[in-house]
Amino acid sequence: MSEEEAYRTVSATLEQERIIPFKTDELEVVRSAEKCVNCGLCLNHCPVVRAVGVDRFSGPRSIAVELSRSPPDFWSTADKVYLCTSCGTCREVCPFNVNMPDIVNMVRARIFKQRPDLVPRGLRAVRETIAKYSLAFEPWEDPNEKTESRDARLQAAGLPFIKDRTVKGAEVLFYPGCQAEERAQEVKEAAKFILNYFGVDFTLLEEMSCCGLPSRLIGDDETSRSLAARLREKVNLLGVKKIVTTCAGCTSNLSDMSVRDNWGVPVYHLIEFLAEEIGLERLSEAFTEGSRAGEVLTTIHDPCHLIRHTSRQISDHVIAVLNLIPNVTVVPSGVADSCCGGGGMVGYHSRDVADAVVAYNLGPISATKANRLVAPCPLCTAQIERNLFNTGSDIQVDDLAVFIAQRLPQER
Amino acid sequence: MTDYDVIVIGGGSTGTAVARDCALRGLKTLLLERDDIASATVGTCAGMISSGFKYYDEPDIMDMCSQEVVYFRRIARHIIMKDPILMPFSELEELTRGGEASSFTDEYAKRAKERGVPPVMFLSPEQSLSIEPSLNPDMAACLYYEEYFIDPFRLCLLQAIDAKQHGATIKTYCEVTGIEATKPAKRVTFYNRATRQVECADGKLIVNAGGPWAGKVAAMAGAPLDLRLNKGAHVILDRRIVNVGISSKAADGRWIYLYPHENTTLLGTTALDTWEDPDVIVASHDEIEYLLKSMEWVVPSIRQARIIRTMEGVRPLVPEWKRSEDKVTRGYRIIDHEKDGVDGLISFTGGKLVMCRHMAEAVTNLVSKKLGRETVCRTHLDSLPGNGADVDVLALAAEYGLSQHAVERLRARRGTETSAVLALTKEHPEWKSTICTCEPVIEAELRYAIRNEFPQTIGDLRRRVRLGTGPCQGTFCTFKAAAVLAEELDLSGEQYQLEMIDFLAERWKGKRPPMRGGQLGQEELTQGLYACVANLDHTDLPYELKPWEEAA
Ligand SMILES: Cc1cc2nc3c(=O)[nH]c(=O)nc-3n(C[C@H](O)[C@H](O)[C@H](O)COP(=O)(O)OP(=O)(O)OC[C@H]3O[C@@H](n4cnc5c(N)ncnc54)[C@H](O)[C@@H]3O)c2cc1C
Ligand code: SF4
Ligand code: SF4
Repeated sequence: MSEEEAYRTVSATLEQERIIPFKTDELEVVRSAEKCVNCGLCLNHCPVVRAVGVDRFSGPRSIAVELSRSPPDFWSTADKVYLCTSCGTCREVCPFNVNMPDIVNMVRARIFKQRPDLVPRGLRAVRETIAKYSLAFEPWEDPNEKTESRDARLQAAGLPFIKDRTVKGAEVLFYPGCQAEERAQEVKEAAKFILNYFGVDFTLLEEMSCCGLPSRLIGDDETSRSLAARLREKVNLLGVKKIVTTCAGCTSNLSDMSVRDNWGVPVYHLIEFLAEEIGLERLSEAFTEGSRAGEVLTTIHDPCHLIRHTSRQISDHVIAVLNLIPNVTVVPSGVADSCCGGGGMVGYHSRDVADAVVAYNLGPISATKANRLVAPCPLCTAQIERNLFNTGSDIQVDDLAVFIAQRLPQER
Repeated sequence: MTDYDVIVIGGGSTGTAVARDCALRGLKTLLLERDDIASATVGTCAGMISSGFKYYDEPDIMDMCSQEVVYFRRIARHIIMKDPILMPFSELEELTRGGEASSFTDEYAKRAKERGVPPVMFLSPEQSLSIEPSLNPDMAACLYYEEYFIDPFRLCLLQAIDAKQHGATIKTYCEVTGIEATKPAKRVTFYNRATRQVECADGKLIVNAGGPWAGKVAAMAGAPLDLRLNKGAHVILDRRIVNVGISSKAADGRWIYLYPHENTTLLGTTALDTWEDPDVIVASHDEIEYLLKSMEWVVPSIRQARIIRTMEGVRPLVPEWKRSEDKVTRGYRIIDHEKDGVDGLISFTGGKLVMCRHMAEAVTNLVSKKLGRETVCRTHLDSLPGNGADVDVLALAAEYGLSQHAVERLRARRGTETSAVLALTKEHPEWKSTICTCEPVIEAELRYAIRNEFPQTIGDLRRRVRLGTGPCQGTFCTFKAAAVLAEELDLSGEQYQLEMIDFLAERWKGKRPPMRGGQLGQEELTQGLYACVANLDHTDLPYELKPWEEAA
């Protein structure tokens, strides 16, 4: 039998026995799961367990100590592991930093292959969109309508339009992410405006494509890896030195990919870029010259993908930057770092769970008496905005990029 | 008047298989086991129902093993899993040396089809690494083959239960202390540890399936029985850390392996001639290092894996001396002690888990002949309990509002019995609660096992449902299981506490030898829970230290 034939026969057995070999980079994730001592500390901190109880979502401890032990059985965990929002709270409190979000991705990647029919329907729909457009959201059919929507949003936000540009050899790639590209266009525009204001030599992609996080969360590891590879190629071609994004999920995923696949290009969230690369001094000067759009009492939401997947320091950056803005007062809610429920693609198939998670935050947010909430992520922004609205709250929810852009001088 | 046609001594794989065969053939059968079913050697084995291809120079044994695999897959497919296995070679020359490889690949190929597997194949390093990235890339090629594994605990238990359902009497915790092989009735005296009474039973024939203790049992009747006792250790690693099994040559050129098994991985085994008491042996530092060091050559990251425990058992080999252990036949012998002037006592030497049914068939043929009964063996045809149609795990999980994974693991242990276990929760929805968090095991299964599978201790429950076998090694299930057991068996408060200590002590036996790394933190937690919180170290209980425990 030739080696190829042999390999085909072996692959057939593996498939039959539901063995989907670990990739080298997954071995570390397996070792992380092995560290769990079943102490249960994480259980008391998981926002999903808090929201829906252990019968519906058995929680991080069970994922580490039970659900992730036998890969051939992973298909049977589909009723549980798709409910994790990937928030990373458990990892933060765990004495061994058991890397739950990646464990969950590793499990989902196997369910996806073993029993695609058990992948929640809502996620299969997203997968189809990604397969078709390489974007997590269906793009606008008519480019003119997209432009009209963009202009309406710019007008509502009171921001000018900065022309799109693609420049080889630029210093920075601004990567808006699918949501700001196709839906929350004001976020993309605000970031362009900010970068432009500070004279950053930036470029956009010739053609936007997804970073691969949604595919990774769906368990479609192959698509996730191919999207990441595709983006990497584009980054290489452009020859940029840094990547800046406005999406929390993109920030953490691109950082992971950049490290995992040796991109050699650091990834920043816009707020990190402002605090670390532009500097508080320049920001302060700019804000002093900026418009005084009336007193704002604002509270903050810290996205999990930034503070827990990337760095807690980003939370300090947000406060530091907001504190520079005249007429803006920040009030703490006490729940800024509590998951909004929007992560892990949970809302795509179990909206009730996602909303039960954010319900915990709504009371304390309202109790701050703030009239504004800012979040450095369009996904968190949308999730909190919709849920606040449903409770009849009149707190306005802004993406941080938009909020900042509005407070910079409009002309220079 | 005799009470029984056959009295079987020993409730391991061999004894339970014999009891089942005898009962199925309508013989009045008693099985006496001094501890629990599957509590000795068979419980420490890898559960491989092997193609026997390591014994390619014993073709009749390979034939037997292959045939037995076919039978097991027919009668107990619900507790069988298949492992693809890679055997890396660092030099091609290693493969061809002495024609060893071609002999075993040829012998394997001859029997592959009946076992439902492809022939042995060769894979390139790249192909092998894509299947198992933990392998040392420094290899010439990998040989690929497939083996089946069975849950040895469930197999023995199901054989015992099936025997019981066919009229046999199964008595656990009854240690045989004397055998009077008088004519025509043979009298067996035994100490019932549960009732603390000495009892006796008369039988026409006695089958000694005492495994490594068979020599001692035979001696009770004054019959000589030589065995070559050979101990072997396994290191048990948390979860399935490899995608497929790996087989390789150890430091001394013997074969060792790393097999994914259920939700753990087994690293084994050593083979050392032993004259120690099988009751006290634990894995030694040398055995653990031998295994780790040897596997490290092919799986360099092996030491990063979490070791949860070791297990040590004693093989009751056929007494062939003055040759290395791996040259001793893997077959078995039936010794009719009539030749020693002890009429009516029949003993086994040798054998393996995979051939337990075959051993039973052979001995029951002899028994029937001696009793002058015409009987037909059916053990290869009739299903063991739970073997049957596919179980719809998703439908059951939905019907009972249980986690799918909990139901799937239940199914892997119980096959078609799954529904009966779940049905208990109709009246008692609270029994859906999780007792063992690692496996997992729900309370209903514990209750079901206690009511139908005659356990007397938490350790017995472990063998029946895999309770306490995960990474936390009983930390979070022992107190809960003890409470359920106490309620079902009406135990006193003191007995309840003793149950916990006993079980923790039994776990300690396997945990202590390899304890290192992550397991140290785990142990702190266990000690904290049972000593600091439950105060078990400060209670005045009539606890006797186990043979393997050191005095304080
Ligand atoms: C490390 C190791 C790995 C192995 N791996 C495999 C494998 O992968 N595949 C395979 O096929 N085989 C394997 N084997 C071999 C196999 O486990 C044994 O050959 C087989 O299980 C022995 O079963 P048994 O019933 O004869 O012995 P045991 O399981 O030891 O049963 C004997 C029983 O007799 C009882 N007994 C003893 N004295 C008395 C008394 N006085 N009164 C009442 N009861 C008594 C004991 O309590 C015990 O339960 C392995 C063995 C070892 C040690
Ligand atoms: S990542 Fe968040 S949602 Fe997921 S298990 Fe951990 S705490 Fe719970
Ligand atoms: S994941 Fe961490 S916190 Fe949770 S039970 Fe395991 S060790 Fe404890």
